[in-house]
Amino acid sequence: MRRTLLLAGLRDWLRHPWQTVLAVVGVGLGVAVVVAVDLANGSALRAFELATEAVTGRSTHAVVGDSTGLPEGLYRELRVEHGVRPSAPVVEGLVELPRHGRRRLRLLGLDPFADGDFRGYLAGGRRSEVDLADLLTRPGAVLLARRTAAELAVEPGDRLLVEAGGRRSEAWLAGLVGDDRGGEDAALADLMLADLATAQELLGRLGRLSRIDLALPEDGGEAVRRIESLLPAGISLLPAAARGQGAAAMTHAFRLNLSALSLLALLCGAFLIYNTISFGVVRRRRLLGSLRCLGASRRQLVALLVSEAAVIGAAGALVGLAAGQALGRQLLTLVTQTINDLYFVLSVRGVEISAASLVKGALLGVGASLLAALPPAAEAMAVAPRAALGRSELESRLRRALPWGMAVGLALIAAGTLLLLPRWGLVAGFSGLFAVLVGAACLTPASAVGFGRLLAPVAGAAFGQLGRLTARGIEATLSRTAVAVAALAMAVAVTVGVDLMIVSFRATVVRWLEISLPADLYVSLYSTPGRRFSSPDSLPPETVAAMRGLDGVDGINTLRHLELATADGPLRALAIELDPRSFDAFLLRQGRPERVWPAFQQGRAVLVSEPLAYRRGLAAGDRFRLPTPAGEIELPVAGVYADYASDQGAVMFGRALYDRLWRDGAVTAVSLYAAPGQPLAALGASVRELLVAVPRAEVRSSRQLRRESLEVFDRTFLITGVLRLLALVVAGVGVLSALMAVQLDRGKELGVLRALGLTPAQLWAVVTSQTALLGLVAGLLAMPLGWAMATIMIRVINRRSFGWSVEMLAPGQPFLAALALAVGAAVAAGLYPAWKMARTPPAEALREE
Amino acid sequence: MGAGRLLDASSPRPGAARLAVLVSLLAVAGCRPAAEPAAGSEALSVVELLGGAEASGFARALEPRLFRFPADHGAHPEFRTEWWYFTGNLAGPGGRRFGYQLTFFRSALTARPEPRASRWAADQVYMAHFAVVDVEAARFASFERFARGAAGLAGADAGPFRVWLEDWSATGGGELPPIRLSAADGGTALDLELAPGKPLVLQGERGLSRKGREPGNASYYYSLTRMPTTGSLTSGGETFTVTGASWMDREWSTSSLDAGVVGWDWFSLQLDDGRDLMVYRLRRADGTSDPRSAGSLVGAAGGVSPLGAQEFEIEPDGLWRSPRTGREYPSGWLLSVPSEGLELTVSPLLADQEIDHSVVYWEGAVRAAGTAGGRPVGGWGYVELTGYGARSP
Repeated sequence: MRRTLLLAGLRDWLRHPWQTVLAVVGVGLGVAVVVAVDLANGSALRAFELATEAVTGRSTHAVVGDSTGLPEGLYRELRVEHGVRPSAPVVEGLVELPRHGRRRLRLLGLDPFADGDFRGYLAGGRRSEVDLADLLTRPGAVLLARRTAAELAVEPGDRLLVEAGGRRSEAWLAGLVGDDRGGEDAALADLMLADLATAQELLGRLGRLSRIDLALPEDGGEAVRRIESLLPAGISLLPAAARGQGAAAMTHAFRLNLSALSLLALLCGAFLIYNTISFGVVRRRRLLGSLRCLGASRRQLVALLVSEAAVIGAAGALVGLAAGQALGRQLLTLVTQTINDLYFVLSVRGVEISAASLVKGALLGVGASLLAALPPAAEAMAVAPRAALGRSELESRLRRALPWGMAVGLALIAAGTLLLLPRWGLVAGFSGLFAVLVGAACLTPASAVGFGRLLAPVAGAAFGQLGRLTARGIEATLSRTAVAVAALAMAVAVTVGVDLMIVSFRATVVRWLEISLPADLYVSLYSTPGRRFSSPDSLPPETVAAMRGLDGVDGINTLRHLELATADGPLRALAIELDPRSFDAFLLRQGRPERVWPAFQQGRAVLVSEPLAYRRGLAAGDRFRLPTPAGEIELPVAGVYADYASDQGAVMFGRALYDRLWRDGAVTAVSLYAAPGQPLAALGASVRELLVAVPRAEVRSSRQLRRESLEVFDRTFLITGVLRLLALVVAGVGVLSALMAVQLDRGKELGVLRALGLTPAQLWAVVTSQTALLGLVAGLLAMPLGWAMATIMIRVINRRSFGWSVEMLAPGQPFLAALALAVGAAVAAGLYPAWKMARTPPAEALREE
Repeated sequence: MGAGRLLDASSPRPGAARLAVLVSLLAVAGCRPAAEPAAGSEALSVVELLGGAEASGFARALEPRLFRFPADHGAHPEFRTEWWYFTGNLAGPGGRRFGYQLTFFRSALTARPEPRASRWAADQVYMAHFAVVDVEAARFASFERFARGAAGLAGADAGPFRVWLEDWSATGGGELPPIRLSAADGGTALDLELAPGKPLVLQGERGLSRKGREPGNASYYYSLTRMPTTGSLTSGGETFTVTGASWMDREWSTSSLDAGVVGWDWFSLQLDDGRDLMVYRLRRADGTSDPRSAGSLVGAAGGVSPLGAQEFEIEPDGLWRSPRTGREYPSGWLLSVPSEGLELTVSPLLADQEIDHSVVYWEGAVRAAGTAGGRPVGGWGYVELTGYGARSP
């Protein structure tokens, strides 16, 4: 019997190869998207971890200051006067190699005599050809990983032009570290190593250290307190893990969002499997019934269906794993780009294939397939052998089940909505979103029936019997169409939702950009905010002074970007000298301008950006603890301002306060108001002239800056768009296979119609308009669902992820596009069956009976 | 002369690359890199720096010089290597015996430093060894540190006197002694005051100590042979008030040993008749003594009598094999200076006083007992043994 069963199953799949192929492709696509996102996320994070490990080494804590680092004498004080050890001074910074495709490397300056306790790149028994005396005494001596040197085509002894913080210097390759194999090289790949003195000279950071690494015992509470008591104000002792965690935490929301979007694709894939398997059951009810009559047990039938699902799932998973790795490579580029745009400098060398991601993808594929096969299998088991032979019985059973489906759907939506309440976190937000989506899918059959019933009289009035027939057909074929419609509705809803979110978000950012860039020319050291904050560099004071005095300059704002070390990770701070004309450039979400600005200008209060306020639960009137060189001070929060430049959040205070406490006169960006009638191009040229000696400085007009900001925005959402598209493709494949199968299955019915006198053209019309109707149902359902999804994403997900408030827009275009998409996909799916039916002589179609 | 000799880089195979300097260092001192015995000579290690730079470009000790103090207590960067060597025997409560060694080595990385902007740029590297022997507890603890001679991390100043490597230091005023020694690592520490005892002694020929036939194979060498010492010493986490006597050796050179010399046995003894004896025997590969072996006897009042190689005899009496390194050292000697009627038996206070760090040698507190002109005499001292390899199979 088993053999018979297997053969029967196999035969059926062979007779419907397209069904099988599409099912496998559907699962494969779902799995591929999940695996790809997982690999891309994992690789980006792993690259960051490796880079962090390479520079953190075995340190447990670090003494850190703000982004300008520490005075170098502090190390001598700790080590010589207080015997704090193991400890190691570090000077670290980014360098670019202008003659090697502007390759970016992290220059790590270490003290070989102290560093053996931490990293051992320079001391200890590593295979190496480095002359330590050269490294210490020869100016510009640096080391590279063997592989990096090979990529750059440089050999020991070669000269290297190095650019850092706007200055170029000549370095020379004193030797190579690491070997050709081994994981160590991956960690070293983006590092340039040097003696600390050399690093200070190349980076232009004389007199400063980036940090002092410490290795404290695990229960080192006492050691921590002792060292903290030795530190001057503004300098703190932080666990080394804070650095790595900072980065992981910084990108957590971003990565979670990607993962959730990839799961949406898998959800569509799962619907597709469910559709395929359940349709397989429906189509073969007669066969299954006959098998039952022949003595096959229920258990055997279930086993048959479940193993079919498992085989499809496994085949799909295999396809998905292969495709996922290829797709992952593409996504990684986008993910890395976004991380570089928004968070920190990261260079990722390639997708790191992690077994965990692959296993997860495979399990998801097979698991989703099995899960999707369960309801149809249970269904097949429940029917009596004889009843299985009749279809009408199935359809009426399904109709009886409609209220239950509605109940489940409503319950899911209610539960999902509860999860969306503000008191829950981001993961709950996503769970809520998924619950609402699945709930809505459960409502689809009932909605489709209702729609068909509503439409039947209208269609009847318009097109007579044929029209009524078409509309009624929706209900009559529910067992075969419900899932397809649900899948299509969901995919289209995702498209609508993501579209609405991006459109709303973009409009909000555009509006914000329009008012937040009131000056005419903007001068800054680095193009990305991440680098501006983390780099210790600043504009030469004489250059800033010269800009102030420039003819045609009518007003000036100066900015000082700072990254302050706090126990909760790095805090971005902005010290601003503000021309009163720029007050309006800040959209205050909280606080009244007439109260905010005087306090701000005098340094009596701080402003916090919306993301920071959200992250730390701050509101106007709260107290803010600000780490400064003079120790931590507490100031009131005067207001909360909108800031879409970064999701990290920033605290902003007046220049007066900065000058009082920091006393270094540093400025990292300047914006200039042109005098009335002053041609911008001419002013730009004279500003550029002042900046010739500062190569990393960029001068941009407000228009240019706006455009570039939007480019970054669009780039950031590119990956979202790609994932949305993938979800749609998965659903498209599902709809295609489902509707095609439905129509092909109706061959007999259509044969009857043909025999009753329907012309091939009329048959075309019936089939096409029926699939179009299904598409219409899906499209109409998708609209409210998409709108709900956009609302959830903007009000819940976005806010919980990034803290931004975005004004929800609902332009008609995405809705219309969605409708067109749904109908178009459905009609496309109906083309082949219609063509085939029209060609088949009625007699042949009927012969089957 | 001290284990500072380990830093000497005049190699039996001169002129080869830096690595050869290290290899020669291994050969001369019988040392090996501490961290990676298996990695052998390929290891990139700070030890390599001890070999120092090429000798060319550095000053040489060619003839006696006019010593100027306190300036000469400070560093002489025109010479390649230099050291400040403190050893002493101390007694705690109830006569509990301790010995200590605290040594600062300076080694130049280049004879021609280039101008640099960073205060961390270094052309000198310092190494320090710190060891304490606690006889009653049979405990010997030794430590090693390195630091660049820059950024205030290590250095040697003359006025006021300060030689330091991080928080290990020897400090004083202009005239030495008094000197204060301070060093600690974990449960081992010392904090000692070294008081004036005897006048400063110029070793060799008015301070020029010739170690080889070749001109320039010599060092400038002076000693403070007896400084009454008080202070505290910590061993195994327990701190003791101690008193005793210390010895300082100061030496700087660019190269000194001739080819064929594989190591040396060096003795410094403070006898209870008030005299201080320093002798060293340079050993050749065939086991014979090099004729440049020498010494001095400092009278109770400070008068110095130089001793030539023919004027003393050192007869090993007993062997000790290191369980860590497998090296075999003499352990106990019969030392005689016939012209002075001195017959001494010298024995280690503890057999295992082997320094096993970047360079491996034996440096230990000893006791001397015997006769001087027929009258019984005793004393305490330090012995240094270098160039002893594992016994050949």
